[in-house]
Amino acid sequence: MSEFEPKIVAFVCNWCTYAGADLAGTSRTQYASNVRIVRFPCTGRIDFMLLMKAFENGADGVIVSGCHPNDCHYTSGNFHARRRWIVFRSILDLIGFDTDRITFSWVSAAEGKKWANLVDEVTDKIKAKGPFTDLDKLDGVQLKELYDEAITK
Amino acid sequence: MKLLQNKVAELFENGTINLMIGFKEALTKQPVPCFIEKASEIEQLIYTKDCKNNLSVYLHKPEVKQAGKIGILANIATLRALVQLTSENQFWDIEKTVLTVNDKEEVIVFSDMEEVEAYVQANFPEFSEEDLKLLDYLESLSREDRWKYWTEQFSACIKCYACRAVCPMCYCPQCTVECNQPQWIKTSAQTTGNLEWHIMRAMHLAGRCINCGECGRICPVGIPVHLLTVKMNQDLFKEFGTKSGFALKGDYALNSFKPDDKEGFIK
Repeated sequence: MSEFEPKIVAFVCNWCTYAGADLAGTSRTQYASNVRIVRFPCTGRIDFMLLMKAFENGADGVIVSGCHPNDCHYTSGNFHARRRWIVFRSILDLIGFDTDRITFSWVSAAEGKKWANLVDEVTDKIKAKGPFTDLDKLDGVQLKELYDEAITK
Repeated sequence: MKLLQNKVAELFENGTINLMIGFKEALTKQPVPCFIEKASEIEQLIYTKDCKNNLSVYLHKPEVKQAGKIGILANIATLRALVQLTSENQFWDIEKTVLTVNDKEEVIVFSDMEEVEAYVQANFPEFSEEDLKLLDYLESLSREDRWKYWTEQFSACIKCYACRAVCPMCYCPQCTVECNQPQWIKTSAQTTGNLEWHIMRAMHLAGRCINCGECGRICPVGIPVHLLTVKMNQDLFKEFGTKSGFALKGDYALNSFKPDDKEGFIK
């Protein structure tokens, strides 16, 4: 069996991290191809429900990244986002959700290298952890199993 | 009791109120909410230590708002809710008169919200010891055990949304849970959807929950949902020093920020 390749969804802001990832690309930096980038206007727009939905729809890890504090294009979006993440993480922690699978980061438009390293790091971490199955196990009927069964018939 | 009834009768007589929301005796030990529309019905009005319901939730209802001038008999949690809701500009279309009964069984009629604010700040309720004990216990468990505990609890959830209906802070005309484009939360009462619902509810109450504990008390299947918001309130105070339902002016925790907010997890 081939090695487990995690699916990682990255929610990034348009002005810093997306540009940073762009820089990593244009400077031909090699990094793990496991990441799927979703571009947002600002980290302040990244609703916690999007993170939940990513996990529900099969992501094994999530990266949330935006401008460094004081660098926000809209002045304060990342400050608001930071408070939200602090609360969100503490609730997930109380519930026992595996918060190691969510990585928060600040990556500026000049930090292409940092972005590449971050994606590599997260990919390695999630590879070591294995697939995320906590949510799949919850509902009695596992749709994927039913689907696989139907396909093979 | 007589004192309270006389006070309310007075308010009816001089036309200050034309609807009184209070408590009346029930078959069970805990008194139930009652609505008094004329002075002749005042005799049923009571107030005891067992009056736990947060009556401020009724002030959002159109049929109650119709009355225009409303009196409300409030316990400390309700007072706190009133302060928070006033800070969120929720009472622009009604005139309300707030009454409470203090520890010495004196009836207090507040003349304005500033007085309520001062009373709340002087008598600010602590977290209940029972809740703190439960939280401590949960936090002492391993992550996997916590996950097991909560997913077992949430698997019992029947999505009746009683926790939302009873919450004075849940007044949005359309809730995200009813939004179906996109469908944020699965409508069937399956554990994943239930889990998302309870996380979402807690997050939308972050910095606004006034910790009355009604959601946990009302839950028909006995899920301690209020623990999520208790934990959140604790953290918000620890991290940012904010208290909900404490002041009439000022932003709530997630609506404001400080450039030097501390966290240890952002790389």
